[in-house]
Amino acid sequence: MSKRLYVTPYRCIDCKVCEQACSLAKTPVPGIPAKPRVQTFKVDDQTNFVLLCLQCDEASCQKVCPTDALVRNPETGAIEVNDRCIGCGFCVQACPFGCMDYDDIHNEYIKCDVCKGDPACAKYCPTGALVWDEKAWTDQEAKERTEKKSTDPFSIALEMAKK
Amino acid sequence: MTSSNGKPFGSVKNLLKRAEKILKERKKLKQEIRVCAGPGCIALGAKDIHKELCKQLDDHKKELEAAGLELNVTLSEKCTGCHGMCEAGPIVTIEPEGTFYTGVKPRDTKKIVEKTLLKDQLVDPLLYQLGHHRGGGKVKHYADIPFYSLQLRVALRKVGVVDPTNFDDFLAEGGFQAFAKAIAEMTPEDVIDQVEKSGLRGRGGAGFSTGRKWRSALRVKEDRVWLICNGDEGDPGAFMDRAIMEGDPYSVLEGMMIGAYALGATDAWIYVRHEYPLAVEHLQMAIDKLTNAGLLGENILGTGMTLNVRISRGGGAFVCGESSALMRSLEGKVGEPRAKYVRSVEKGLHDEPTVLNNVETFTCVPAIIDKGAEWFASMGREKSKGTKAFSLVGKVKHTGLIEVPMGRTLREIIFDIGGGIIDDRPFKAVQTGGPSGGCLPAGKLNLQVDFDTLADAGAMMGSGGMIVMDDHTCMVDVAKYFINFLIGESCGKCVPCREGLYQLYDLLNKITNGEGKPGDLETIETLCHTMEVASLCALGKSAPYPVTSTIKYFREEYEEHINDGVCRAGVCPKLIVYHINDDCNGCEVCRKHCPTNAITGEKKKLHVIDPDLCISCGICKSVCKFDTIDIMSGGKIVSRDVVA
Amino acid sequence: MSKTKTSKTVHLTIDGQNVEAPKGAMILDVTPGLGVEIPSLCAHPGLEPFGACRLCVVEIQKPGWDDWYKQLVTSCLFQVEEGLKVWTNSDEVRQNRKVVLDLLMARVPASDVIRDLGNQYGVTKTSYAEVDTEDTCIMCDICVRACHAIGRDAIASMSRGPDKYVDVPDKDACIGCLVCANLCPTNAIPFTANDNGKRRIWGKEFDLVTDERSGEVLGTTEYIEHVRKRAEDKGLLCPEDMKHESARVKRYGYAQKLSHVADVEEPIEEVK
Ligand SMILES: Cc1cc2nc3c(=O)[nH]c(=O)nc-3n(C[C@H](O)[C@H](O)[C@H](O)COP(=O)(O)O)c2cc1C
Ligand code: SF4
Ligand code: SF4
Ligand code: FES
Repeated sequence: MSKRLYVTPYRCIDCKVCEQACSLAKTPVPGIPAKPRVQTFKVDDQTNFVLLCLQCDEASCQKVCPTDALVRNPETGAIEVNDRCIGCGFCVQACPFGCMDYDDIHNEYIKCDVCKGDPACAKYCPTGALVWDEKAWTDQEAKERTEKKSTDPFSIALEMAKK
Repeated sequence: MTSSNGKPFGSVKNLLKRAEKILKERKKLKQEIRVCAGPGCIALGAKDIHKELCKQLDDHKKELEAAGLELNVTLSEKCTGCHGMCEAGPIVTIEPEGTFYTGVKPRDTKKIVEKTLLKDQLVDPLLYQLGHHRGGGKVKHYADIPFYSLQLRVALRKVGVVDPTNFDDFLAEGGFQAFAKAIAEMTPEDVIDQVEKSGLRGRGGAGFSTGRKWRSALRVKEDRVWLICNGDEGDPGAFMDRAIMEGDPYSVLEGMMIGAYALGATDAWIYVRHEYPLAVEHLQMAIDKLTNAGLLGENILGTGMTLNVRISRGGGAFVCGESSALMRSLEGKVGEPRAKYVRSVEKGLHDEPTVLNNVETFTCVPAIIDKGAEWFASMGREKSKGTKAFSLVGKVKHTGLIEVPMGRTLREIIFDIGGGIIDDRPFKAVQTGGPSGGCLPAGKLNLQVDFDTLADAGAMMGSGGMIVMDDHTCMVDVAKYFINFLIGESCGKCVPCREGLYQLYDLLNKITNGEGKPGDLETIETLCHTMEVASLCALGKSAPYPVTSTIKYFREEYEEHINDGVCRAGVCPKLIVYHINDDCNGCEVCRKHCPTNAITGEKKKLHVIDPDLCISCGICKSVCKFDTIDIMSGGKIVSRDVVA
Repeated sequence: MSKTKTSKTVHLTIDGQNVEAPKGAMILDVTPGLGVEIPSLCAHPGLEPFGACRLCVVEIQKPGWDDWYKQLVTSCLFQVEEGLKVWTNSDEVRQNRKVVLDLLMARVPASDVIRDLGNQYGVTKTSYAEVDTEDTCIMCDICVRACHAIGRDAIASMSRGPDKYVDVPDKDACIGCLVCANLCPTNAIPFTANDNGKRRIWGKEFDLVTDERSGEVLGTTEYIEHVRKRAEDKGLLCPEDMKHESARVKRYGYAQKLSHVADVEEPIEEVK
């Protein structure tokens, strides 16, 4: 069973450590920090939120890409941008969650690639809102998850998106 | 035109029966008049001659019948393809004697009918006049003319013989015997074996073994194989493929059908150059006829073989003759070559296996199947078998279309068949292989022409163009001319060819203008090397040949241009001055014609050209009736016309 | 792009290094990470190989060839083969690259990119006649191929031989995405990205669409429309939503929507 990135949004305290960690981990030229792939938000007084790429099964970004530059890495399960990218930006427009982005400082199209299997964000998250872990779901657990669909934020998000 | 009672043949037997029947009818023929309807003769009025001839035959019907010549039974007339000797056109020949009439005019047909047909007499003024060098006699039959007697026609065997629009005529001349033999008696493997054994090499340029090409296409096991006939023929001055397509379209198709049978191809294209509407017309006519006769389409001759042939009219660019560019053009894309590290027998048209051959190559195939590989291999040389058609042009007495066995020397071709240089001037060079071929000097006249000897000498076979040059030709100027042609034909895709040609032209232009610098030759040689090895397609790779071969054989001419400002041939305008010599009798003609008023002189007195005003246009020299104008370069007379 | 059915690998040597490479790959594709440098101007991993600049030439030798015999090929187009030997920096290779750069320096004297590359190969001044031009296009066709890839085909190379040039035969097809200009190796395509809400390229002016909340420029109207259509054709989730939000705003929007249900104990699976 390979590792996955688990997000527990209600644990997020909007400290932005993950953003900084991501930015540093992804900086190609030292001294000029990259745009982070992960972002946290203060939604209202009580709620914070952390959002990063869902690595969708049927990813919109992948579908619109004209040069097959978005390819899923079989080892991490994450979709990565490769050197076939010609910079048309279709993916940025296509991702419904805003998780595909353009870093105008480094002139790069960016997305979360779970740091090739060692995500910096999870490493530094102080509250466990982001966890890189190996977790086997029993059948029962998996069933529960699907049944509790209505309370699963991402399923809801997807549902809303479909509307 | 008699047709096979409109019904498809249905079987090989039926086809052969039909051929036999026609042949039997033909046995009755006593006389046959052939009017050449090749492009050269048509331009000179062959159509009118034919019309008038028919009228005359009609007018003299009674007398002719009295003499046992009944039209369409014992007497026939037809328009054929090019006879090859276009400069002597329009040509009319009468078989079986082989009477050869040249320069025929419509009104001459009356005499031909009345004298030759009715009284068995020759029409003297129409006979071919041999040049002075051969005693200057008149020749009755074409077999006596060296231009013909030294040739051996395989690819052109039916050009000038059959009526290209008449299927029965083609059958009567032995057409489709080879296809019938292949499809009835031979396996595809046998056919390829024969072609391979015959040693046939592609006539389109590269000279790749046709048998090997076919075999490698067989090895690529794919559902569909495309067959393409390359009739693009973009070389200026070359018209072999044109003559075949216009004059003998059925042979091309027969060759393709045999190829298709061997390769299992069901779809074929003929890619014909845009400038050849008559070729398209004749080929299309032939395709329609064969489709109706059950020789093309589905279930050919009841054997289950399928072949559909379509014609595509090329865009006219020279580079479209290159195989990958041709295929892209057929796909409806821009005719640019693509990288060729994957062979087209594996991935050609639409990325499917494709066999591309030249018109002449296909035309040789039926002859090989018919007469056997050994017969074909008995002609020519060890590594280049068979014959090759050339178009002989330039400063040679008899220009035209010829076909000789491989291994004939350049001297035999130029001096015996071509009759030597016009005005018997000294021979200087012959350029072979089309625009990107090379120039060979007099020292190479004994070269036995085949694929490899030409390549070794720095020229190439190409599609078979041969341009003969005399001593009034400046080799730097010639190189410049071909580079200029190629600039217009380069597709411009890759840097060495696109930029290289541009810079080569610039350097050569400077040299011919007297602005060459020491070191230019080295720059040119470096550039040529990179173009040869680094260009994308064969056009760019061979484009420097006109330059490298002239540098190789005429280096001193380049050096004279650069170092001394001398053009020994008296061609390069910036390096020459016109000068009136003492024989001038003051007729004033040149003075009146000079566009810049550079000539002064009074009537009956020696005229003088002011070199500062002279623009070297050469008008004075061409108008002077007394040949007193010399060309000087570097203070020496380089060209003086000999007064006859 | 040719996809190889079998994921077999082949073994070859590049400048003496043993290399294992997937069958069907081009030599140029397998050099990154080997410490060898092959210059190239017309190759882009995302576009069909083209083979126009001839800078990427290398020398090769196939197994079974005579020892002295090598062939010059373009590495962007030559597929790796079992037992192939490749030299990426031999004298012959450098010499031919030098001539190519020399020719290019004469063609586009104004291009710094070409001048710098030329200098690397020891060409400081071209040996040929400089073309008097400010244009820096080297006819690599990258822009044309890119425009084709994104599905617009607005630009094309016109004419032939030394007169070849890139132009925009179909102005209506241009959506002002700037992909061509950004990919051009010699920055030959002039454009104005944003001049008071207008964008200009290929002689056409576009209105820019800005995200209302972040003020970020999303692209031209035509561009947004093109991506929306493309997304629709590909059956994407919600093409409507792509219209007018920047990545940041989109994220924020979803964060807001999701926060209503965020007080669940359940961790959320992130990566499959
Ligand atoms: C620039 C260029 C022009 C060519 N033009 C012709 C042509 O006009 N006709 C032709 O048959 N082959 C032409 N060829 C050769 C073809 O590429 C090809 O080799 C040939 O048609 C193959 O047929 P073959 O094997 O029967 O010779 C040309 C090649 C090049 C590089
Ligand atoms: S060699 Fe010339 S004709 Fe051939 S691809 Fe290059 S530019 Fe085009
Ligand atoms: S404009 Fe740029 S990208 Fe387009 S062909 Fe010219 S050099 Fe290449
Ligand atoms: S990169 Fe290979 S030819 Fe341009």
